[in-house]
Amino acid sequence: MRKTPERIESLASEYVLGSLRGAARKRFEGWMMESYRVRQEVWFWEDKLSALADKVPEEEPPARVWSSIEQRLWPDTAAVRKPRSLGWLWPSWSLAATAAVLVMAVLLVQRPTPAPVPMLSGAIVQPDVKDPLWLVSEAGSDHRLRLRPVAATAAQAGKDYELWIVPDGGQPLSLGVMPVNGIYQVTLTDAARKALSTSRTLAISLEPKGGSPTGAPTGPILHVTKLYEL
Amino acid sequence: MMDDAPQDDLMRLLGRVANHDRTAFQHLYEQMSARMYGLCHRLAGQQELAEEALQDAFIRIWHHASEYHSERGSPMTWMMTIARYRTLDLMRARKVRRSAGESALEHLEDERSGPLDESIRMDGSEALTGCLEELSESQRDSILLSYYRGFTHDELSSALSTPVGTVKSWIRRGLLALKRCLER
Repeated sequence: MRKTPERIESLASEYVLGSLRGAARKRFEGWMMESYRVRQEVWFWEDKLSALADKVPEEEPPARVWSSIEQRLWPDTAAVRKPRSLGWLWPSWSLAATAAVLVMAVLLVQRPTPAPVPMLSGAIVQPDVKDPLWLVSEAGSDHRLRLRPVAATAAQAGKDYELWIVPDGGQPLSLGVMPVNGIYQVTLTDAARKALSTSRTLAISLEPKGGSPTGAPTGPILHVTKLYEL
Repeated sequence: MMDDAPQDDLMRLLGRVANHDRTAFQHLYEQMSARMYGLCHRLAGQQELAEEALQDAFIRIWHHASEYHSERGSPMTWMMTIARYRTLDLMRARKVRRSAGESALEHLEDERSGPLDESIRMDGSEALTGCLEELSESQRDSILLSYYRGFTHDELSSALSTPVGTVKSWIRRGLLALKRCLER
């Protein structure tokens, strides 16, 4: 088939629209490789028809899409990792007696925020729940940690969720009791920030109403997550 | 449309991605994924395929960011186009057909006459600065259903109860008329 200007014009528009299929589409792709003129015609339509795409409402993809992309591009260092065993961290914390759910951390898929850029982020997920329970992000300038509940459900009656920084060594640092019905923000002390930036590990335990009476976790660890630097 | 994802910013990020900057790549994902996913999902009509297309599109962007240049439109156009082509590819490969079976045909009819179709029509008209208004209704609808739903000629033929040859001609002539209008 000869590349007449009329044919190029017509086929390019149908190629971009998507109605050009099968062998004809393949053949046209060959034309694109050979001819700058053909490519230009395709670019014209891509540019013009993209105005139609702008009208489609945005839709947040599930967090697993980003995890999969990372897995495919960087299988050795991708964000999905199992948290390390906690047994040695808190010998006094009887994990065996609890129904602790250890969860895997996934990288937070975050909507763009105007400012400031979050430095640490992550998600607290549960394997059988589609959405993350909480999304975690850090606002860089003032050391504020922000947890947004997504699929989190209220603790059982008489109980509260308490958030902890798990340092690389020593006792967990409490970040307070977390509600499930609104964004929880906590400003980190310099010491807390330092501990978190090294270990990047958060945990959530189930505590008596109002939080742990001892200042150290007393209830079962429900979730452990590792944050990632953006 | 560019309020929350300025083209300059995207351009800068793409440049860094071309140098295999992972942080920039993640920022690019944060800025563009919802937009791209919305399009993939609407086109495919199913979540699983849309997710896969989005993944593939970003892998492609990672590997081919250096091939972007301004003749290909804005960075956003370039990325949206990659996502759309990938979705269409997967739909073809998986033979995702919205016309297979009777219930699907009814679905098409619904889309044709329902409010969904009306909103597509309005969106499209607005987007192409009134040029779609100059087409006949059949031309315009065939183009919009192809663009937003990935309808094949055969599917359009069923949906619009019109022979395939006529549908092809609507699209061909419609696009030509559109181009003449856009070039004015």
